[in-house]
Amino acid sequence: MALVRSLRARVVLWVCVALIVLFAATIVGLDIAFRNTADRDRRELIEAQVLGLIALAEPGPGGELRLPTEAIDPRFEVANSGLYGALYDGNGRALWQSLSLLGRDFPADEVAAAGERRHLMLDVPGFPPIEAELMGVTWEDRPAPYTFAIGVSLEPYNDRQATFRNYLIGWFLGVTLTMLLVVSGLLTFVLRPVHRLERQVREVEAGDRVKLTGSYPSELVGLADNLNMLIDTERRRLVRYRNTLDDLAHSLKTPLAAMHTLLSEQRSQPAEDRSDALNRELERMDQRVSYQLRRARASGATGLGTEPVAVAPLVEDLKQTLDKVYRDKHVACSVTVVPGASFRGDPGDLTEILGNLMDNAYKYCAGRVIVKAVSTRERLVITVGDDGKGIGDEFAAQLFQRGKRADESIPGQGIGLAVVRETVELYRGALSVGKSDLGGAELRVELLRAGVL
Amino acid sequence: MRLLLVEDDPNLNRSLATQLEQAGYVVDRAADGQEGLYLAREYPVNLAIIDLGLPKLSGVELIKQLRADGKSYPVLVLTARDRWQDKVEVLKLGADDYVVKPFNVEELLARIDALLRRATGWAQSELVCGPIVLDTRTQEVKVKGQKLELTSFEYKLLEYLMLHAGEVLSKTQITESLYEEDFERDSNVIEVFIGRLRRKLDPEDEYKPIETLRGRGYRLAVARGAPPSG
Repeated sequence: MALVRSLRARVVLWVCVALIVLFAATIVGLDIAFRNTADRDRRELIEAQVLGLIALAEPGPGGELRLPTEAIDPRFEVANSGLYGALYDGNGRALWQSLSLLGRDFPADEVAAAGERRHLMLDVPGFPPIEAELMGVTWEDRPAPYTFAIGVSLEPYNDRQATFRNYLIGWFLGVTLTMLLVVSGLLTFVLRPVHRLERQVREVEAGDRVKLTGSYPSELVGLADNLNMLIDTERRRLVRYRNTLDDLAHSLKTPLAAMHTLLSEQRSQPAEDRSDALNRELERMDQRVSYQLRRARASGATGLGTEPVAVAPLVEDLKQTLDKVYRDKHVACSVTVVPGASFRGDPGDLTEILGNLMDNAYKYCAGRVIVKAVSTRERLVITVGDDGKGIGDEFAAQLFQRGKRADESIPGQGIGLAVVRETVELYRGALSVGKSDLGGAELRVELLRAGVL
Repeated sequence: MRLLLVEDDPNLNRSLATQLEQAGYVVDRAADGQEGLYLAREYPVNLAIIDLGLPKLSGVELIKQLRADGKSYPVLVLTARDRWQDKVEVLKLGADDYVVKPFNVEELLARIDALLRRATGWAQSELVCGPIVLDTRTQEVKVKGQKLELTSFEYKLLEYLMLHAGEVLSKTQITESLYEEDFERDSNVIEVFIGRLRRKLDPEDEYKPIETLRGRGYRLAVARGAPPSG
């Protein structure tokens, strides 16, 4: 069914198939029931006529049986009435044949034994198909039995059956067509919001629309909301990339300009001074490029299509890495992560956030670091504390100054934290600085969990 | 100390090698992973500096190969990738430290120094063997508090002996670690320098710091750490 792309075509196709199967079964069933009834009726008629003839028969003047024609069923007297009768003596000589045979012999040229009832289906040229019964009857002192024969034409029954069948098929075709029309109309009604969604997405794509609007039925609300989120994330990402490129261009061009100037400066300056100045500019460039690249790289995933990232193994990896890097310092790092603490987003982003925080803690601690992660229904809270000197108020204030780019306001060491702050904000979380129980700084990251985004 | 430098950028490779040599190291240079692996298998290396983005055999593969070969010396990774995910991965792989490009040569030297000391069981940058104190950062040597004037090769030799204090070091081992070229191995230079070091460290012939083990090599016989008397 993968070939049938349209929902409407699928539904119509399935309704068609279902109706045809259902109606075919019904038609066959009704047809069989109708025929059975007709067969029984005919059998009863034959039975009644045979018994009727036997009741009418009486010995004539010659001792032979005869049938008083005045008392007989009128259908025996009408040409081709479809009811035929005959009476034979024991030698097969016809004593009586109904007028409806129009002088022809009764189509069955056989006699029945005494007490025998012989049932026949006859198809003889010149006659319509006939169902017949021969009944052998012994009459008083006559040694040979008489045979009473009754034949009933199948034609009227077959005609009735055909009429009934045509009527049934016609009726069911009508019902099927009506159903398809109803289903089709229903689909148009049901699919209207889907078409609206599709149209709106196309408009968003074309730039004629900012987001999906209007109320959607409950089955589509989730889809519409997620699409809006995706559109929003995409737009914010684009804005961020543009800003990053602008910032990067600015960050690179200023030191480049300074270096050009330095190079073209009077040669009077000692080579060492100029080399120092060049080095400073290079360092500035390096710092800015590294900062811009790191903040541009944070993906800020929407939580769509991302698996929850377990916090514990990630913290453990970082701890091992940092233990290796700072092995001469012998830092005692205690990690407490509640089981099941997880993050919805890009694992690289979380590694970056935690890596920077833990690296700072290892760098500035006197010997102890504490990492804790707690997750509630709505948020993931991670704290990293150390027993160092803590973060100065002035630095903290600079770090949290909104709208100020870190590479302009913060010296080299703080860039990691600035990147952390920006990454956390991409996830609409928060970074705060406090005092650790160990006496040093404690950095606290709160991230909203997926679904709450 | 013999370093293996595997870096594919020719300028960085040349300039870095020059500065490492100036700092007293013997440097084997390779421009791709396969050459690096060949050199690592041919020469006794004390530390490898490996760029991650290498042609032919990636840095990651090279480190895996080295570790699979049973080489346990420190590996310092140079990388432009500064994501924490990359750092975690690199150290998990078997590297001992990483330096993110662009880097400061002084910082690189400090990291190399620290890794070499750690590999030989020294935690501080100051190596102390009885009365001999050698500061690997300032390259200053003091005996009983008196500053000692050593030539650059004498210093390299003493540092090598002190880093491996207590171990027997064959002449071949010493020449291979301190000399770049093969042909000098046959000379008696080492014997001459050992003699000079002995005279400078112990002019009164009191504590005989350098032992000669016949047919086996030399050993710094003074125990690590300051003497109990202070």
